[in-house]
Amino acid sequence: MGRNAVVTLVIDIQPTPAYKLKWLQMATTVTSTEKPVSTQPAPAEARPRAPRPPRPNFRHIHRFPLPVTVHHVPPVIPHNPLSLISVALSYLTFLISPPRQEVYSAYFDSATSSVHVTDENAVKALWQMGFFGKGSLSRSEPSWLAREKKRRGLLGGKSSEEVTRQRREERRELKLERARMEKLAIEERLKAEAAARENGTTIDQDDQSTAADGTANDTATSTEKFSLRKAKEARMLETRNQAARKAAATDSTDQAEKSPNGKSVRFSPVVQKQEFLSNSPSSMKLPDSVVDNIEADEEPIFENEEHLQLSKEEAFFLSYSLGTLNIYDAPVKASQNQPNSIMSTTSLLKLLCNHSFNPSRDASAALQPDDPFMLSYVVYHHFRSLGWVVRSGVKFGTDYLLYNRGPVFSHAEFAVIVIPSYSHSYWTETEERKEYIAAKQTRSWWWLHCVNRVQAQVLKSLVVCYVEVPPPTASIDDIGALLGTYQVREFLVKRFVPNRMRD
Amino acid sequence: MADADEDVVQTPPTGQVEVDLSDETQDFRFLNHLNFISDTASPSIPKRGEKDFEPNPTEHQADVLSASRDAMHNALSFPRLHRPKTQIIAYYALGGYAAQAELDAQQDALQVKENQKPSESTQKKPPTDASKPPPKPVNISPDACVLVPIPKGQYFKTMGQADRKNRVWLLPEEALYLLERGSLDIRWPSTSDPDAVSIPMSLQAAYACFVGHGGLTLERFSVYTGLKRLGYSFLRAPGWSDEIEDTEEIAPASEPSPPKFHGPGLAGILGSLFKWIHDPRKTASTATGPIVGFGIHRHYMDVYRKLAIIPWYDPVTAPPSKLSDTTPPFRVVFHIYKPSTPFKKSAPPAPDFRVAVVSTRDQTTMPALPQLGALLESTPLDPPHGEKMQRMMYMRLRHGYRNVVMAVVDQGVVSYLRIADSAFGKEKLFETKGGPQGNKRGGRGPGGPNRSKKR
Repeated sequence: MGRNAVVTLVIDIQPTPAYKLKWLQMATTVTSTEKPVSTQPAPAEARPRAPRPPRPNFRHIHRFPLPVTVHHVPPVIPHNPLSLISVALSYLTFLISPPRQEVYSAYFDSATSSVHVTDENAVKALWQMGFFGKGSLSRSEPSWLAREKKRRGLLGGKSSEEVTRQRREERRELKLERARMEKLAIEERLKAEAAARENGTTIDQDDQSTAADGTANDTATSTEKFSLRKAKEARMLETRNQAARKAAATDSTDQAEKSPNGKSVRFSPVVQKQEFLSNSPSSMKLPDSVVDNIEADEEPIFENEEHLQLSKEEAFFLSYSLGTLNIYDAPVKASQNQPNSIMSTTSLLKLLCNHSFNPSRDASAALQPDDPFMLSYVVYHHFRSLGWVVRSGVKFGTDYLLYNRGPVFSHAEFAVIVIPSYSHSYWTETEERKEYIAAKQTRSWWWLHCVNRVQAQVLKSLVVCYVEVPPPTASIDDIGALLGTYQVREFLVKRFVPNRMRD
Repeated sequence: MADADEDVVQTPPTGQVEVDLSDETQDFRFLNHLNFISDTASPSIPKRGEKDFEPNPTEHQADVLSASRDAMHNALSFPRLHRPKTQIIAYYALGGYAAQAELDAQQDALQVKENQKPSESTQKKPPTDASKPPPKPVNISPDACVLVPIPKGQYFKTMGQADRKNRVWLLPEEALYLLERGSLDIRWPSTSDPDAVSIPMSLQAAYACFVGHGGLTLERFSVYTGLKRLGYSFLRAPGWSDEIEDTEEIAPASEPSPPKFHGPGLAGILGSLFKWIHDPRKTASTATGPIVGFGIHRHYMDVYRKLAIIPWYDPVTAPPSKLSDTTPPFRVVFHIYKPSTPFKKSAPPAPDFRVAVVSTRDQTTMPALPQLGALLESTPLDPPHGEKMQRMMYMRLRHGYRNVVMAVVDQGVVSYLRIADSAFGKEKLFETKGGPQGNKRGGRGPGGPNRSKKR
């Protein structure tokens, strides 16, 4: 509760940037068009703005990069003996009552080969400190409870999923509108052409000339294309005219709008994109999860059906590297008398390696140095240790996405694909092994081009991360030493467009 | 369907739109604006209009279409002539410069004899030259097989190599390129009578003669001609011929260098000493974890430093590989220069890009790490520098420490990939203050102010 107060306070202090104001203006213009019976012909900007729900202060919520508590030593100021005392005091307090590192618990679910966290506090902590896992019923942040409350009218605000849905609806509507305008324009032109034919004259000369040099600068006006922006403008104009006339002409629009677009609409993605970016407010309105602070003390009216799902790499990182997660081998049941056992790190590694195959490998199988889990964990750990927030890149067809600080702050800049490499002489000793590694490490050019094109389209830089696989070792007792035998090397692959590199 | 419209990615507004014109069909109406067709050409570059995506029954659309078609026919019907004034005649000399030099020497000797008979007065340079073996000019490639006796025109600024008699020798790709664009008339050699009318070489014959000569493959020629038309200048790189590999059998797998462990260093040791004081219950263990231990952490940086246990490749300290370490398709074959780079044949500057050419039909898979690593290590270190790079970490990472351009040719379709050795390990993100540059909602710091992307 105290934290909430802080949040709102900080938001108030933050100045509203210019683009936000612009966005607000545009948002209001759009909403104004949705109400056709506006008696005021005043410009839309003059209307009172709808209060925008405050954006949570992500800087505060996600101020800890890892779920590890850190106790800063008070600074030592040489000329101030009091500072020494404060340092000594802090040591003393730690000595007397050592602070406890919070340890969360989770269990391994073999059906989904992922690790589930069900405790609310643990879910919240793991998400807020380092963006671990995803909500099992949400797109990324576990927000099911908030959405459900919202749906039942218990909570204000919008969740990111709803924002997305709304944006999609708006976009679809605008597209239909654009198609309608195009159709109208074609009909008009047909009529004009028919009229011209009846008059016995050819179509006016200007038209011919524009057709001939249509690509000259006046194309934009001469062609009957309608962009989303134009559709929107036209719509606004229409509603305004209607309001001025106060006529019952609304039925014409209704009719027109009701008339389904018989034609299939295919638009150039380029045009569409541009229009969205320059005008549509929806493009600026990226999903921001507003629901973050569910009142902890609020009486839960219904159960939270959602849990946090950690990937194998995340779970192992939290457990082995940070020691903040205890992973049980089965979910805790109330009826059970004896608690489930916490898995040791070694057995956890083995389990996760075996489950990195589909179907999972036999539990008795020996650990191989190129098990998919080992490769992906090495890369995951490498980037995590450098400070990146690593999340799955399955959305974009890659292994990982790298976020700077976290997904709520900025888009991912890098998309990582992992490829094993077998340079060690062990792997080329026999023909059998050569065949084996050939099957493991080869990727076709077409595959690379596909991945590369997708990344270019979503404006991410493709990182091809090769992992040098060591020869097999006998034991996995020392996991640190095992991980130290791997080596990663990153290549940045980008399409080179000679046309654009000329100067 | 629901995702379809969301997944249309939003690209920046006009001005920064990355429209790849080469991906689109030509609008031939542009041709009407070119100088040679219309008499009064507007000085401005024509803008692109909007597209129709489906046919509609209006006459307007039909008119636009026929206008475009007419423009194309008009452009194609333009007569292309070889003007005798600008015509450049070349001779196909299969033996290359070495054979020609011998021939020259004989002729010179003959001439000297003839000249010596009548008078011994005026410029008698040839005898001294002919007496000693011709000093081999360093810069004429043995693969050069087309001789231009009277070089004139702009092409020879960037192409060909001149010999002592001011004749220019062209490499097969240069000759083929010039022949294709109609700037060169190559004649078959006529050994019997120098004054006889020589027969011009056809394009088919030129392809038959030059592709395959001196290591020129069709893939390399595709790359050459494609970039040449865009104005780039070319030099053959030392890795052009595959013969380097013969000097040494390709080692099956070189012993990987011991992984460089980028551990704490001296400062880290001191730090760990302090940590030991801080944290008497030393619970940190990399063997079974947790790596960071259960003790009191003083700073997140310490936590991250403890986490750094995965060795990574450092391109700066790595030794550069020799050319012979690279495996043939993954080897730099061209050094190319941007059109804006001042390029002098006699003293070429450092190349702007290094290009390796790969045929997807011969090498069906993308390179494995040893191949790609050797290719990059054969290029000089090119670390990110400059004020902008200093500021922007993303740019540094994208630029990398070494880079190479790989032209992947798939049956004549060339895809260029820039591959850079970017060392993420050298950029400690956790040390940077203030988090990501830019803002999620609007602009972004590096790589363009208005890039907005999908999460």
